[in-house]
Amino acid sequence: MKVDNQAGQKAFSELYEAYAPMVYRRCLSLLGDDAEAKDMMQDVFLRIYDRKDSLDLSQPSSLLWNTATRLCLNRIRDKKRRGLDVDSSDTLLNIACADDEMDGYEARGLLAKIFSKEQESTRTIAVLHYVDGMTLEETAEMVGLSVSGVRKRLRTLQARIKDLEVKR
Amino acid sequence: MTTIKKISDFKMERYLLGELPDVEMRELREREVSDEIFAARVKKLREENGRILEECPFNALEARLEMAGKSSSSAVGTAFWLKVAAALVVALGIFSAVFMGRDVVTMQSDDASMEVAMADAGDTRIKGLDARMEVWKKTGDSAVQLTNGSEVREGDEIQLRYSVPEKCYGMLLSLDGNGMFTMHMSDGMSAMKLEPGKMTTLPYAYRLDNAPKHETFFLLTSHNSFDFDEKNLNALLKNKEVSNVIVELRKAGR
Repeated sequence: MKVDNQAGQKAFSELYEAYAPMVYRRCLSLLGDDAEAKDMMQDVFLRIYDRKDSLDLSQPSSLLWNTATRLCLNRIRDKKRRGLDVDSSDTLLNIACADDEMDGYEARGLLAKIFSKEQESTRTIAVLHYVDGMTLEETAEMVGLSVSGVRKRLRTLQARIKDLEVKR
Repeated sequence: MTTIKKISDFKMERYLLGELPDVEMRELREREVSDEIFAARVKKLREENGRILEECPFNALEARLEMAGKSSSSAVGTAFWLKVAAALVVALGIFSAVFMGRDVVTMQSDDASMEVAMADAGDTRIKGLDARMEVWKKTGDSAVQLTNGSEVREGDEIQLRYSVPEKCYGMLLSLDGNGMFTMHMSDGMSAMKLEPGKMTTLPYAYRLDNAPKHETFFLLTSHNSFDFDEKNLNALLKNKEVSNVIVELRKAGR
């Protein structure tokens, strides 16, 4: 169906052109490297494309921001594990390398859970709160959880990272 | 001493995208006028947007999709593209071909009062196939129905509803003062099959952009399938087999 394909391509390119700058800047702020940020920006859109059937696109900016955050955290953790230089703050590095029970869902292919608002990565939540400086209320809205839910999730991570403290 | 609250990166991005709630958008627009430092930050980011897209065009992503065997032009889930296009329509008010192979039955709005206001309204009957179209504008926590000549402004959130008395083919589109068409309901560039019944609310609202003069909405219906392109609207309006309902809104502020 030629028309549908053209329209689909147009819709995806419009999504990209509207949000790519935001995604790039997000990746750059977490990775600290222009080339790496550009590469990661494309990874984010590829991820969105791959998971298109399970995504909630009612708020594309939140979805893309959180996806970029999570993929950048994975990149930072992988680099750290491989002994490569990581240009990140200690807080970001600690969060990136923390155990996250939600990662297991992704590894096991339970992507719908990862992408739904109820199951956003705890590490992503921690970055929004501790690194981005969002309040608990803003963080909760961003990931679709209650404030108490966010606080609870952060406490589980806090138990693994000494320097983190859940702010009220 | 005046305290200037720091704006988070995400909030700034949403400001650039025009996605913040009206109150926050207004606050930041005022700040952009009065705060040179903030204005410079906004200007820098807007300029940077163009540079980023120049350095990383969509074509580059397409190449990676193709390398991975996932051409973006391949047949993909219609529902996904519908969501993408509609999200962009709401967020940016830009042209999007919204195409669907299914009926739309629910309104995805968190503003229940708007739904209630629309549900309470009487239906306006029209000529031809006796199809009906309603155009609503969100106002605070409610909504008002617009009619020919109603005044609207950039940023107004518009919700469309329609009903048809019998099975037919139809499409909903709009034309703004820049001559730009926006397809709100169709099957690609063709009319989609419509089922008779109650007023159906499109699942996504539509935010008006800064186009001047007018915003005109068309509901076109026919017993037979028909196609649309930007050059044949007048022909469709004159076609006796295609019935139309038209609501023209006056654009203020320009």
